[in-house]
Amino acid sequence: MRKGILEFCILSIIRRGEAYPSDIVEEMKAANLNIFEGTLYPLLTRLKNADMLTYRWVESNSGPPRKYFSLTEKGDAFYKELESTWNELANAVNTLANKTNGLGDNPNQ
Amino acid sequence: MKKIININFHSRVIPIEETAYEILKQYVEDLRKYFANEEGRDEIVSDIENRFAELFSDRLKKGSTCITDEDVNAIIASMGRPEDFEQDELGKVSSGSQAASQQAGPQQSQQQYAFEPHRRLYRSENDRILGGVCGGLANYLRLDPAIVRILFALITFGGFGLGVLVYIVLWIAVPSRSLATNIRKRLYRNPDDKVIAGVAGGLSAYFHIDVWIFRVIFALPLIAGIIGGIFHNAWFDFDPFPVFAGGFGGTFVITYIILWVALPEAVTASEKLEMRGEKVDIESIKNTIKSDIEGFNKRTKDMGEDIKQRAEQFASEFKQTAKNFGSEVGPAARRTSSGIGHAIGVLFKAFFLFIAGCIAFALIMVLVALLFSGVGVFPFKNYLLTGFWQNFFAWSTLCLFLGVPVLALLIWLIRRIAGVRSRNHFLGFVFGGLWTIGLISLIVLVASIGHDFRSRATVQEEIPIAQPAGGKVLVKVEPGKVKYYGSDWFGFNDDMDWPFFSLNEDSLMLRSIRVELVKSQDSAYHTYAVKMGRGDNPHAAQDVASKINFPTIQHDSVLLLPKGFAIAQHEKFRNQQVLVIVEVPVGKKIEVDRSVNFYHWFDINFNRYNSWNFNWNDDWDNSYNWNDNTEYIMTNEGLAETHPVKNRVGDDNEDEDKPRETHKEGYRYKKNHDSTTAKKGKDSIKTKAPKTRAGATDEKTPAKEAGAVRDINEPEDAFSPTYNLANLI
Repeated sequence: MRKGILEFCILSIIRRGEAYPSDIVEEMKAANLNIFEGTLYPLLTRLKNADMLTYRWVESNSGPPRKYFSLTEKGDAFYKELESTWNELANAVNTLANKTNGLGDNPNQ
Repeated sequence: MKKIININFHSRVIPIEETAYEILKQYVEDLRKYFANEEGRDEIVSDIENRFAELFSDRLKKGSTCITDEDVNAIIASMGRPEDFEQDELGKVSSGSQAASQQAGPQQSQQQYAFEPHRRLYRSENDRILGGVCGGLANYLRLDPAIVRILFALITFGGFGLGVLVYIVLWIAVPSRSLATNIRKRLYRNPDDKVIAGVAGGLSAYFHIDVWIFRVIFALPLIAGIIGGIFHNAWFDFDPFPVFAGGFGGTFVITYIILWVALPEAVTASEKLEMRGEKVDIESIKNTIKSDIEGFNKRTKDMGEDIKQRAEQFASEFKQTAKNFGSEVGPAARRTSSGIGHAIGVLFKAFFLFIAGCIAFALIMVLVALLFSGVGVFPFKNYLLTGFWQNFFAWSTLCLFLGVPVLALLIWLIRRIAGVRSRNHFLGFVFGGLWTIGLISLIVLVASIGHDFRSRATVQEEIPIAQPAGGKVLVKVEPGKVKYYGSDWFGFNDDMDWPFFSLNEDSLMLRSIRVELVKSQDSAYHTYAVKMGRGDNPHAAQDVASKINFPTIQHDSVLLLPKGFAIAQHEKFRNQQVLVIVEVPVGKKIEVDRSVNFYHWFDINFNRYNSWNFNWNDDWDNSYNWNDNTEYIMTNEGLAETHPVKNRVGDDNEDEDKPRETHKEGYRYKKNHDSTTAKKGKDSIKTKAPKTRAGATDEKTPAKEAGAVRDINEPEDAFSPTYNLANLI
């Protein structure tokens, strides 16, 4: 996947609310994006080490404690950057895909 | 029935099957390896383990008594194996092949990491011939293992086994681990381009140089040796490659064998890519497989007749199709053909190849030698062959029977080296046919010549001899005042077994002469010359015999025989021989001079066992053996030495004084000759200077005959037999 897109997706999910890895995978599945859970953990850790994310432990009755991740300010700013990059990309691709005129025509129509 | 263990997994006690635990443990190991140089490695692994623990709890809650293999595998499947993790370039640190393995299907455990902070020396578990020492060393140093092996071999051979010691120390001290290749380009043997073992092919793929260059380099000392050998024998001292033939020949062969053992064969597509130094990723692997298959098809068409290739193709195609199913990008660490078994197998193969090569080489050399000697006897040809047909067949034999195989062999050699393969065996058939014709002409030639020698005739001539005053006759060969030096092409000299001692365009000198001593019927000396010859019918044979010119001269008591007799070219060689019979009356003496040794009896015997040599020897059945330079006296019983020496040292012939039956055939002459030389040799060891021999040992008889004829020309040297006191005066 193109550089940054996966991070963008993850941050989008976490932005909406605290999430723990299993949740994130579920969300992505719901959006028809399948990734391995194991892909997530390194990414989350990296983002956390880069101060984009923070987490807290939440005890649970039915198992070991879980890490819940949330966005930091830095993470939010990074998210905005990612968002604009994505939009640029999306626009560019859409523009090219929606063009109807032939290649040889006068571009200044 | 499986064993269950309890593990303390993230502060929970989990009952788990032992095998499942092993799987889990291995997976965690793999994770740790995968994230080896990741800053947050511990945290990541801990998070994943935590997830596992959570899922285990769920399972146990749902009613399972323990965690099974299936549970663990299922969780691993959903979690993903390390190589499945999608990483973009930002986060990961890896080398090219890691990218390849990610995009490809699942892989075995081992991954490779571009740099590990503290590299340790390990022994390689997968790249091993004996103990994996060289493989591990190569991995540590990022070198081609083949290079390390060769270096080790050199150190071992050069340092008197030092390498062995180092190897054993390393084997004990260094731990072993599964290591994958970490170099992009390494030296392999190329199985797609092999004449013997693909060494040259592999070298050419590595260096991107044409393969025939390497083949020529390896074969060059061999060819130089052959050519040098031919020159050396044919044209004596012209030796164009003195150093090469001897010195290098061995080195290159040994180099080839070392490379054969040390280099692995590039079997899989990824290995082939490594061989060429190309990037190993999915695209290039696909292309390699495609080109391999195409290559196979092409080769199938070209070499349908080559049996070996067909068998190989079968095996490799099979292998190839099997490999194409997944695991093409399989563990690069797999080594099917490594191991000590491979090395031993190579040595055996090399040894057998060497033996076969020697035999083939020897056969070729025989052919070449025959070819050259055929050419060398050329001047002799005119004396042997009569008529157009014999000449024709002789030429045809020479060219076709001898020349064709040599030519065919040279062409085959050149073709192999250049890697050219002919589509049909047209040339082979042509050569085979020509050779068969040569064989037929050889047979015809031999038959034809044999026909010319079929009959044998003798002509007996009495040599008038005046009875010598002193009661003794000395038979001698006149010393040559004129030495014949013909064209000395192949160095014919007196030592050789040829009956002729000189050969030039218009005449041939023969020395097939023998002297026989017989008891005379009356009290006078008689001498006869029996001339013998052969021909295709008795008349022709008789004609040949009578044409022999054998003039003898007598000076008082010395009978001088000519050195030989000449045959003019138009007369042809028909095994002419002269037998000189000297009849000695009882009570008289006879001595045969050493110069008679010059004669060399040459006989052709067709039928040794059913002898159809008619009994020409009836009257002379009782010829006696004699030693040259010995004086004999004829008694009633036969020849007796006038100065016999008892208990002569080294005397093998105890019954020398007794008369011996002559045999009708063969080289009696030669037997005398040998025993004489044997005695000469032993005596020369015993004696010192000739002068001091007088009276020194008690082996000599005290009595000496004065007045014995002595050849003043004879040099006095240490080789005179001790018993010949007559010469000491």
